[in-house]
Amino acid sequence: MRLTWRGAEFRLLLPILLLVPLGFLVTNIALTGALETGDMTLAVGFVALFVVAHVVLVASGHRGDQLILPAVGALGGIGIIMLNRLPQDLAGTSAFGLELGMAATQLLWFAVGMIVMLAIAVGLRDDGILRHYKYSWAAIGIALLAATLVLGYEVNGARLWIDLGPVSVQPGELLKIVLVVFIAGYLAETRTLLTSARMRIGFLSIPPLPYFLPMLVLFAAVMLIVVVLNDLGTALLFFGTFLTMLFVATGRRSYVLIGLILFVAGAWVAYQLFGHVQARVDVWLDPFADPLGAGFQPVRAIYALGRGGVFGEGLGQGLVTLGGSLTIPFVHTDFIFTAIAEELGLLGAFALLGFAMILVFRGLRIAALARDDFGALLAAGLTASLGLQTLIIIGGNTKLIPLTGITLPFVSYGGSSVVASFIMIGLLLAISHRSGSADEEAAG
Amino acid sequence: MIATNVRRLGVYLMLAFAVVSASAVWWQVIEAHSLSIRTDNPEVIAARRSLPRGTIFDASGQVLASSEVIDGLSRRTYTDPAFTHVLGYSSLRFGTTGIERAFEDILVGQTDPNPIRDLIGDVLDRQPQPRDLTLTIDRRLQDFAAAQLGGDAGAVVAIDPQTGAILALVSAPTFDATPISGDPNGAQEPMDALRNDPAEPLLARARQGLYVPGSIMKVFTAATALDAGAITPDTTYENQPREEREGFVVDGFAIREHDLGGIQPALWPLSPALQVSSNIFFAHVGLDIGADTFLDYARRFGFCAPMRIGPPDRGLSVAASYVTEPVDGDCGPFRDNVELASASFGQGRTAVTPVQMAMLAAAIAGDGVAPNPYVVRDVRSHSEDGSPTDQVLETFGSGGGTRVVSSATAAATRAAMVDAVNGELGRLYAGQADVTLYGIGDARSAGKTGTAELGGEQAPHSWFIGFAPAEQDATPRIAIAVLLERGGSGSAGAAPIAGRIMAEWLRLSAGS
Repeated sequence: MRLTWRGAEFRLLLPILLLVPLGFLVTNIALTGALETGDMTLAVGFVALFVVAHVVLVASGHRGDQLILPAVGALGGIGIIMLNRLPQDLAGTSAFGLELGMAATQLLWFAVGMIVMLAIAVGLRDDGILRHYKYSWAAIGIALLAATLVLGYEVNGARLWIDLGPVSVQPGELLKIVLVVFIAGYLAETRTLLTSARMRIGFLSIPPLPYFLPMLVLFAAVMLIVVVLNDLGTALLFFGTFLTMLFVATGRRSYVLIGLILFVAGAWVAYQLFGHVQARVDVWLDPFADPLGAGFQPVRAIYALGRGGVFGEGLGQGLVTLGGSLTIPFVHTDFIFTAIAEELGLLGAFALLGFAMILVFRGLRIAALARDDFGALLAAGLTASLGLQTLIIIGGNTKLIPLTGITLPFVSYGGSSVVASFIMIGLLLAISHRSGSADEEAAG
Repeated sequence: MIATNVRRLGVYLMLAFAVVSASAVWWQVIEAHSLSIRTDNPEVIAARRSLPRGTIFDASGQVLASSEVIDGLSRRTYTDPAFTHVLGYSSLRFGTTGIERAFEDILVGQTDPNPIRDLIGDVLDRQPQPRDLTLTIDRRLQDFAAAQLGGDAGAVVAIDPQTGAILALVSAPTFDATPISGDPNGAQEPMDALRNDPAEPLLARARQGLYVPGSIMKVFTAATALDAGAITPDTTYENQPREEREGFVVDGFAIREHDLGGIQPALWPLSPALQVSSNIFFAHVGLDIGADTFLDYARRFGFCAPMRIGPPDRGLSVAASYVTEPVDGDCGPFRDNVELASASFGQGRTAVTPVQMAMLAAAIAGDGVAPNPYVVRDVRSHSEDGSPTDQVLETFGSGGGTRVVSSATAAATRAAMVDAVNGELGRLYAGQADVTLYGIGDARSAGKTGTAELGGEQAPHSWFIGFAPAEQDATPRIAIAVLLERGGSGSAGAAPIAGRIMAEWLRLSAGS
């Protein structure tokens, strides 16, 4: 193993990491009105994490993509600055004899996630374990779902959480990854069959069903359970990721079209059948119809976006609480984008979207350069999942689509989400390393 | 192959990111300003939380509502529950209603009544200056009227027919708005109690309650028929005496008279027909008016559309009153002649607010001109010492009004209404509304009782509308509507209450 001097990564990390302590400083001045630095422990800790990650990648001679880590640093940096600015008692942990506030807890999860990411990025030299045991992965996924169904408890009407003593985890976050691994494995194997066989109904070429069946059955089962768990955001994310991977594997727009038609039909049926789906769509269409009841969150989010304007109210100067309660409930998870857009304005929102886009396009680049079909499909699937999740939650914040309770990767508060996102980055780095593309990139 | 598909996927995702970015632009740039001026914007609420709020005085300068800022929070105190359904409340938790809502920006000083000073203030980014309001209502009359209703559900609306100034606007039951407008942490419990109270104290009955009017509607029918030329004060219907006993058959449906007691039916023209409140006579009159003209005059008098007390942009809202089944917020067509005949004596599908019926009385009292009602008299600079300042910034109530019927029609209707209280037959029904019974020696009342049948076993609504002084050459100073929910007959319930309130006002206004 030889050192790789990851110069691009270093040069990009430098300004991003300097901005995080600056963000903490500005927040502290705005909140206290005193020209003092305040407690910088978390900012320093955040910087240290990324420095350590960079050093480990350099030391292990990692040749993976060099823009991924800075993009994650930027997203996570904006996130930790905002979480540090919000009231610290919104979330937190009192496990292991520690009393940690929200931002500190998030940083702790960043550390855990970073370790897992590095272990995968550096340690996963052979993806056979992923590819060959795809049905085992599927079984694990089903087991996770079953566990949620049996052991899970509800938060806000959706049963997503399992209590594991000191921490609660959302198995759905891990299921997301397992599902992508399974589908990538399955499609890599059957891709040729799927593209060569042709069945047509009118202008649509429909999938050769027999080859699809195992995957469709499994996927349908997962979707059904997720819908039963009332986790509509995750259902939408799974479905979108699935369609995207199908498109990447086959290149058939018609498959996506059929999928979308099925989705619209399914959504219509759900709207007719389930009161809570109907309620959510109605709130989406006209949140101002009940601004103090069902429409409270979306209405408050819209106002926060309006207050932010182009330049934002400034860090620490947004209207986070009103009379002792949050202006927007769940601002630290579902509505973190809104809080950022309020304080950092449209410019900050664009910066956030820009960093997410960089992450997505580097992920797609890894997929395009991958050495084999499995790696390509896995990278594309992971990237699509991260990208769609970002689009779904931000689109929900801006009322572009109905709001669903999923996290903004690396930005929202939440341990399961952070760790899962880091696992995905670890896998992307591992695939990227195997295609050995980093050196040329760094030279360019 | 896969690489190509990945590139295409990249294009689609880029488009998706562009759409999401555009949705952020929509709220943060395009809609930002219109969002910033909405009253339920938390920024506006937050500003209101800590800003001092202007005082509201009654017509005689007594404090009705005042604010003080405690621990950075503006808390509102109300002195008189009788005014709750006029002032509304200003709660940090439940928002604002009533005058507090209509005059929100003036009370907190975000808008200067003078547009030029307002613009200068905007440009200079001045701190908002709270302003005070003075009502047209004298607390003494409001309290007197509220006391007359006692603990019963009902409403009293009194208007100066010459100016449109509201003299009393009582809805009962009422509640003390201070607990829900003070400490926001303690506001939920009293609000829950109010919401769960079966007596519905949160309903502003005078403005928002819809009731079957019964016979007070005959004032409208009489004025309309006279004005449209359908009848003269001397018109009679030859079959009416017989129909009083046997019923008046309209389209196969027999309209029956109410219990006339010992009164023997006779060939009655307008005045005695109004005195005994003959349903048969007014059914004939309504049919002679015709459906189209009936609806046309209903709209002239203000029925069939929501009303406002005060200027259009700062009015207290009043629910629409209807003479037929509503269709898209307007009065729909009469289904048949039975409905038209029934509406003519205030049954059928009629549903009215006490304010609307007070306006009807005011229009007759005002020589056929419906005044423009208003309840806030003026805006003044903020007082720190509990009595109004001399600096009047804006006044309301420019007078004027809308002519709804001719002067001659108003005079003839008024004469019949004077008889309905003072006439030989009328005394038996509405005699208790006579102000001379309550210490006013030199004035007469005009009016009409109503006993609105609700069907089934329910007791009827008790109504009275009228005005005083009503003798020849006198200028009426108060027009009134009194409603007692399920209060029984108009004669026994609403009429004496109306008489006392009118007498009280004649006394108070003569003294001041």
